[in-house]
Amino acid sequence: MVASARDVVRVTGAATARPMVLVHGFGCDQEMWRLVVPDLATDHRVVTFDLVGFGRSDVRGYDRERYGTLHGHAADVVALCRELELRDVVLVGHSVSAIIAVLAQQQAPELFGALVLIGPNPRYVDDGDYTGGFSRDDIAALLDALDSNQLAWSAAMGPAIMGNPDRPELAEELTASFCRTDPGVARHFARVTFLSDNRADLPGVTVPTLVLQCADDVIAPEVVGRYVHRAVPGSTFVQLAATGHCPHLSAPAETVAAIRAFLEGAR
Amino acid sequence: MDAGSTDPDPRLAALLSDDPEELFENAPCGYLSARPDGTVVKVNRTLCGWLDRPREQVLGARFDRLLSVGGRVLVQTHLVPLLRTQGEVREMVLDLIRRDGSSLPCLVHAREVRDPDGVPLLVRLTLFDATARRRYERELLAAQRAAEESEVRSRTLQRVVGELSAAVTPGDVAAVVARRSRRAVGARAAGLWLVDEPSGVGDGEPRVALAAQDGLGDDLVRELDRTTAGRVGAVLSSGVRSVPVGPQLAAAWPALAAALTAAGHTGLVVAPVAADDRLLGALAVFLGPGGSTGGLLSLVDPTGPPVLEEADVDLLATLGRQAGQALERARLHEVTRQQAERSGFLLDAARLLAGATGVAETVERLAEMVVPRLADMCLVDLVTEQGMDRAVARHGDPARQHLVDELRAWAPPYRELPHPARAAMEQGRTRWFRDVTDEWLAGVVRDPAELAAVRALELSDVVSVPLQAEGRTLGVLTLSADRRRRPFTAADVELAEQLAVQVAMVTSKAQRFDFELQTSHTLQATLLPPGPPAVPGLAIAVRYLAATQGADIGGDFYDVAPLSGDGTGQVAIAVGDVVGHDITAAATMGQLRSVYRALLVESPAPSVVVDRLQASWPLLGLQRMATALFAVLSPADGGLTVASAGHPPPLVVGSGRAGFLPVRPSPMLGAAAVPAATWRGVLTPGDTLVLYTDGLVESRTSDIDEGLERLREAAVRWSGAPPDELVDRLLTELTGTHRADDIALLALTCGP
Repeated sequence: MVASARDVVRVTGAATARPMVLVHGFGCDQEMWRLVVPDLATDHRVVTFDLVGFGRSDVRGYDRERYGTLHGHAADVVALCRELELRDVVLVGHSVSAIIAVLAQQQAPELFGALVLIGPNPRYVDDGDYTGGFSRDDIAALLDALDSNQLAWSAAMGPAIMGNPDRPELAEELTASFCRTDPGVARHFARVTFLSDNRADLPGVTVPTLVLQCADDVIAPEVVGRYVHRAVPGSTFVQLAATGHCPHLSAPAETVAAIRAFLEGAR
Repeated sequence: MDAGSTDPDPRLAALLSDDPEELFENAPCGYLSARPDGTVVKVNRTLCGWLDRPREQVLGARFDRLLSVGGRVLVQTHLVPLLRTQGEVREMVLDLIRRDGSSLPCLVHAREVRDPDGVPLLVRLTLFDATARRRYERELLAAQRAAEESEVRSRTLQRVVGELSAAVTPGDVAAVVARRSRRAVGARAAGLWLVDEPSGVGDGEPRVALAAQDGLGDDLVRELDRTTAGRVGAVLSSGVRSVPVGPQLAAAWPALAAALTAAGHTGLVVAPVAADDRLLGALAVFLGPGGSTGGLLSLVDPTGPPVLEEADVDLLATLGRQAGQALERARLHEVTRQQAERSGFLLDAARLLAGATGVAETVERLAEMVVPRLADMCLVDLVTEQGMDRAVARHGDPARQHLVDELRAWAPPYRELPHPARAAMEQGRTRWFRDVTDEWLAGVVRDPAELAAVRALELSDVVSVPLQAEGRTLGVLTLSADRRRRPFTAADVELAEQLAVQVAMVTSKAQRFDFELQTSHTLQATLLPPGPPAVPGLAIAVRYLAATQGADIGGDFYDVAPLSGDGTGQVAIAVGDVVGHDITAAATMGQLRSVYRALLVESPAPSVVVDRLQASWPLLGLQRMATALFAVLSPADGGLTVASAGHPPPLVVGSGRAGFLPVRPSPMLGAAAVPAATWRGVLTPGDTLVLYTDGLVESRTSDIDEGLERLREAAVRWSGAPPDELVDRLLTELTGTHRADDIALLALTCGP
């Protein structure tokens, strides 16, 4: 993955600063981080990249067997850190990538110094006493809704990508974003994301971990964030004022402050 | 609109003069404005109408609360990030939820309004009713999913085909198909049952046996085994069938339904395994909650009925056909291998049996061959003069040998029990008892002790093959397989039959050999004269040596008889050699000797004996010719009369000398009848007359003149020895351990 990912890896900040790898979540690519990277890069060597199948990554590298579970993506994160020769990495994962980060840390404990989990959800489907926030029917409807939109975008955005002379900036921006996602890959990744159960992986985390919880997060409700906090040994739980699922977009300053406070506290 | 119009429609003018408020409220699309956190601050009447909610309810609500669950997730994962990063989103499909809970698919455009510093102030959304478009999309989507799933299925098939091509045995094939079928359709378990190879023995329902399984528990396998008996035809002939675990199944097969429920299965789907319309077996996948979906959760309601998509049903049918083809190939391969193995076995058997020299050894070697390579138990019963006899009883497991010995009811003489050996003997054909039951066993033993023994043998199959050769039934070969071994196949039984043919031929030959050996011993005892009679004035030594090959007796003879009738004390001496050294030669010699003895009553001269025998040869119907020498010796004066019919000359041994008497032989007995010549002479007292047959002087490597000379020289060396010593010395010097012919040797010394 790493070779094909060269042009999708962006490194910002001083080479001597502590490395921080930001892994984007479901539905987007590394553009997600653009409002927090400048701030974080003042005292970190910030690495962002696109997961295989997303953004500018080579969609041909998306092997459904390898990425049939989240472990494949986690292995990619580990490989990237090794290639960049990073040590004591602060691994920041958003949404599904919070779980990818949990798996990566256990695949190569020697590489990582801290985890930041933004809106983690180890299992979306309710299961007995466990509340994931969704019923089976909800997830089925969600997958349907995602499918509908993949279709709408691929159909509607084609012309924009081909070149819209009136609004070249639109074409460029969209090219850089979701339209990059192959509908088949998006659908497969959605299934892997929403049908995985990684609860059992949480207790294995061995580094200081921050759980960042938004208010009104449909995808990662507070009850799930608290569950993750209980399950990850010695983790820190921070409730943000930000609403929704993407605090790094909706409340970048608050998000950065929370991460920084945690890292300083963990020193 | 016509540009030259000067008379605008007043109604149109009224509409065009509508205030923007009216345009906003009643636009053909929904308008909604929200704060960056999603709180709705403005909404038009159209949208409120779509939602079937009063404006007051909508205002102040979070926008995403107006949407379906999927829509809410999309807003947070896609709409918000897009607006923040790009400022605008177009054509997102979101479902509004109306007051009655129904949904209205909308196409949504959204734009973020920011202040000069880029801080978001407001989100403006425009929503279009997309019901018709959604319908169209769903069709497109369904087609796309079908294409993708078919791609997944075709990959599964490719993988199966690849793995099947590497599978060598039917067992390998079954294992691949069971494993892959389970995975391909996300089943909880899968099993492959195969019909036994057609045997030609027995009829009715074919037997099926589990060939491979993936994820089935032992209890369920047992219950399925029980259920499949007698039901195979129905299952196999009805194509792919879906069987829910429900009241209907519970009514028909309560135990099976219970076992399926206990294992957590809610249904099964059975597909035929076939090759070119020939049904080879059945593939079954077991459905229910927790089916394997590659590590991901299943969205199927665990309490609902089992669901298998039509495409998966087709996939199973295809897998069944693929399995059928691969099984055919693997079986062909196996048959070829087994044939080679059987040919090897029969060849080994032929070699081993060829070396056997008697019946007992033949059956011993047979048992060695068969147990445990072909069977667990091997019994051979043979017809003898005294009736049937158990020739061998061997079990491959020494710990069970005593059970075989205890099973006397199965050994001859057979009781009035319909057991396999007796049935095969009486009907003269192979009897194969497959999958023997307790009831059957109870019917073929006499008492509880025997029943216990036969049960302890754990028989599964018993085969009895009559041993037939040259139109005779020589006995019966009985083989059995116990339950630790796989049951006999038709090929095993055929192998047993071929083995039986070999054994019968060898046994028949061995029996004949045994018979001839016994006969020749008897004949020898009858035909050879007893020790020489005591004759005053005469020392006599006789020796008879049979050839080292073949029967113990040949066609040579000798005879020494006092001619008591004439009161002269004369002795009639004869030595002869019938051509050949087999039973016929011995019989001919016996007759010749009888006739000769009869002639002696008249004390005829030797030449007369020759003439009479020549004359009576055709009348006697003797089959072989013979050489013979007849003499009359008078111990009192040494007078000797000799006549020869083609026989080597007598040797006279004196002190330090030896010489052949110049007897002129007439033709051999059985050749032309020419009057015989007589030689007359007198033996010096102390001289020894040596008579012999050509076995002493002839061998395959030297001619007779050399042989005669060697005899003479040896006789000179031992001229001083008494007759007994002389004959032994001559035999020692002139014959080796291997004799091609019989030898008769006499020495007579006229003594003081």
